[in-house]
Amino acid sequence: MANLQKIYSDLDLTFRRLPVTNDVALSYDDQSVIRSVRNLLLTGFYERPFQPNLGSNLNKLLFEPADQLTSNLIESEVRNVISNFEPRVTINSINVTITPDENSFNLSMTFFVGNNTRATTVTLLLQRSR
Amino acid sequence: MASNTNINITQLDFSSIKSNFITYLQSQNTFQDYNFEGSSMSVLLDILAYNTQYNAYYLNMVANEMFLDSALQRSSVVSHAKLLNYTPKSAIAPSAEISLVFSGTANAAFTLPKFTNFTSEAIDGVNYNFVTVDAKTVNATNSTATFNDVTIKQGIPAAYRYTVNGTTNPSYKFEIPDATVDTTTIEVSVQVSSTNSSSTVYNSASNYLTLNSTSAVYFLQESLNGNYELYFGDGIIGKLLSDGNIVNISYVATDGTLAAGANNFVLMDSIAGYTTLQIFPVVPASDGGDKEGINSIKFQAPKAFSAQGRAVSKNDYITAIQQNTLGYSFDAVNVWGGEENDPVVYGQVFICLKPAGSYNLTQTQKQRLIAEVIKPISVLTVTPTIVDPDYTYIQVNASVFYTAENTNLTAAQLTSGIISSIQAWGDGALNTFNSTFNAYDLLSAIQSYNQAIITSEFNIKLQKKFLPNLSGGTTYKLYYNSPIEVGKFGSGVTSYPDLQYRDPANLSTIIDGIYIEEVPSSTYGVDTIDIINPGYGYQSSPTVTILGDGSGATATASVVNGSISKITVVNSGNNYTQAIATITPATGDTTGQLGAVVVNLQGRFGTLRTYYNNASQVKTIFNANIGTIDYVNGIITLNNFNPHGVNDPLGQLTISVTPTTNIISSSYNRIITIDANDSNSVKVIVRAKTTT
Repeated sequence: MANLQKIYSDLDLTFRRLPVTNDVALSYDDQSVIRSVRNLLLTGFYERPFQPNLGSNLNKLLFEPADQLTSNLIESEVRNVISNFEPRVTINSINVTITPDENSFNLSMTFFVGNNTRATTVTLLLQRSR
Repeated sequence: MASNTNINITQLDFSSIKSNFITYLQSQNTFQDYNFEGSSMSVLLDILAYNTQYNAYYLNMVANEMFLDSALQRSSVVSHAKLLNYTPKSAIAPSAEISLVFSGTANAAFTLPKFTNFTSEAIDGVNYNFVTVDAKTVNATNSTATFNDVTIKQGIPAAYRYTVNGTTNPSYKFEIPDATVDTTTIEVSVQVSSTNSSSTVYNSASNYLTLNSTSAVYFLQESLNGNYELYFGDGIIGKLLSDGNIVNISYVATDGTLAAGANNFVLMDSIAGYTTLQIFPVVPASDGGDKEGINSIKFQAPKAFSAQGRAVSKNDYITAIQQNTLGYSFDAVNVWGGEENDPVVYGQVFICLKPAGSYNLTQTQKQRLIAEVIKPISVLTVTPTIVDPDYTYIQVNASVFYTAENTNLTAAQLTSGIISSIQAWGDGALNTFNSTFNAYDLLSAIQSYNQAIITSEFNIKLQKKFLPNLSGGTTYKLYYNSPIEVGKFGSGVTSYPDLQYRDPANLSTIIDGIYIEEVPSSTYGVDTIDIINPGYGYQSSPTVTILGDGSGATATASVVNGSISKITVVNSGNNYTQAIATITPATGDTTGQLGAVVVNLQGRFGTLRTYYNNASQVKTIFNANIGTIDYVNGIITLNNFNPHGVNDPLGQLTISVTPTTNIISSSYNRIITIDANDSNSVKVIVRAKTTT
């Protein structure tokens, strides 16, 4: 297998220290894109300064009734935020499962990063923290 | 990492700063995801850009507030002004003068106390409270106490009392928590303590050079929150307060200019049991002012600093007068030295003032201004003299042509709108000293009122308004300061309203409906001939030949010692609009030469007469010569003018002339204005374009 060149490289927001170099940790390629998608999904409107439209409405939707309608809205919200702000991602499928007893949604999405034919899956548990 | 040569640090807004960071990051390859909004790098860039912008904005604001010119916060402007020893002016209470007559009093001293309350007539639906600011005592005679010319100020008396406590208020600053305070009415007394009621009156500190450790003075400044505060001396400059002293501050809280014009008052208090009185208005409420705004502070503070409390240059006088503490406010002030005056008067400085809201200052106001404002700071040998403004009113007659489809205003609405627009323009551009009537600006004011206006034109008349003396013949000289057009029949000089004269044939009969008019002048003859070169060698009087487009003018020359000494016009001739004269030596005179003269035509002066229409409606000349018009210098002289009455409620006579030019400029004590109180001062005729 050829030594693949890293296309995407980003800072790891956990600010982990690399034990060998003592430098801050980076994330690459799929990992960096997954991190970006998670950031977008978990950012609310008006959260970032001067960019009120950046982010998604997921945190508001969690206060809606835990039913199929809300789950459809969540799916649509996810598609919107990805198509608006993450051009590297091509969505394959989104699956939102309701767990009414826990007042939460299980979001599982499969997507392709750039021209990569290998699908990447992200699973997020969306739950109200208050 | 790459060098930082790619980073641009001059932009200050969030998006530019972030885009600069992104440009910078393009020169490295450690982080590649800076361009994606969701990336962690982007989150960091956002925080950094936000922080940078926040600091840039903050620094920009701080830098702005550091200079008087750019400061926006009132507290900053006031603070800069403080360095220039300038205290912003507070609201000023309008003051009126009234006379009061109490009847049925004992024949003894009778006092009208300080802060006696009066209420005014309603001004825009509001009755305002007025108070006396000083106590006044007169000796009543014939059971009547008469107070003449009592000054009352609009406002409500208020007072604050502070106990000095060096622990809680170590700087000894005492705020007056009232935005409506009129600081010119502040009175301060300091009581020794709550158990010792003797008190000392403290005055506002003005001249710091004369202050010492015992001077009972207070200093006034505007505090950070916009209220005024008093502070006291430190024991070196001004007397130091001590703990336990009680500071009593009294003042009048005013509504500023709102009560201007009030002239009828009712006493609200009972004075020593007497409420039967008559109140006579003397001077209506005027001279009020609102609290000084930021722009005015920025303008006035440096000027006050440059004058340094002395009146030496022209601007020193203007600044001192504008900043007077008597409560007078002025729309315009002009000052000139006696050496510039006509006639020249050395050792005097002339001051001309246009009071806010009225035309002239009263005699008392002039005296107070000179005695209390100007004299204390002017150079000893210079005598200040206040002269009244000389108003020249401009009457505008405008014709406006417009497209009716382009506006939803009716012709009447358009007309009144244009009139307001012209008056507003006049208010701003004229109505002050050293102003110039600019025809182009007037047309722009008309044109910009409504886009439906296609074109417009106007002509102007100049008017002088005065109150003729009805008790004896007086000579009036009216200076229009512009050449006057020689009138044709039916135009030219006109007067308004009509005058009344006694019939000379029967003095008990009054003749009404008398107007002034210009005598139409149709013939122009030769008036005089001036010698410009007397020549030499003339053995006898040479012949004078007048050549021109008229006819009949003849003149003779007199010779003394071979030179022409005098030219006498024998016959003026008529119908000349231009003429020259040649000098020809007499027959047989071979030596006379070089004599040259120049012809002056008649027409520089005209005559004024009065006329009326008699009972049969036949125009009758009442007095064929009541004065003259100097067309060139624009002066109308009325000799021994003695009408019996003027048909005007105020007794005001208006004399209008047509100037030869639309360039009208004012200087010295002259003000050109469009009279806002005269409904005929602007006339507009609108005409809609026919579209078929």
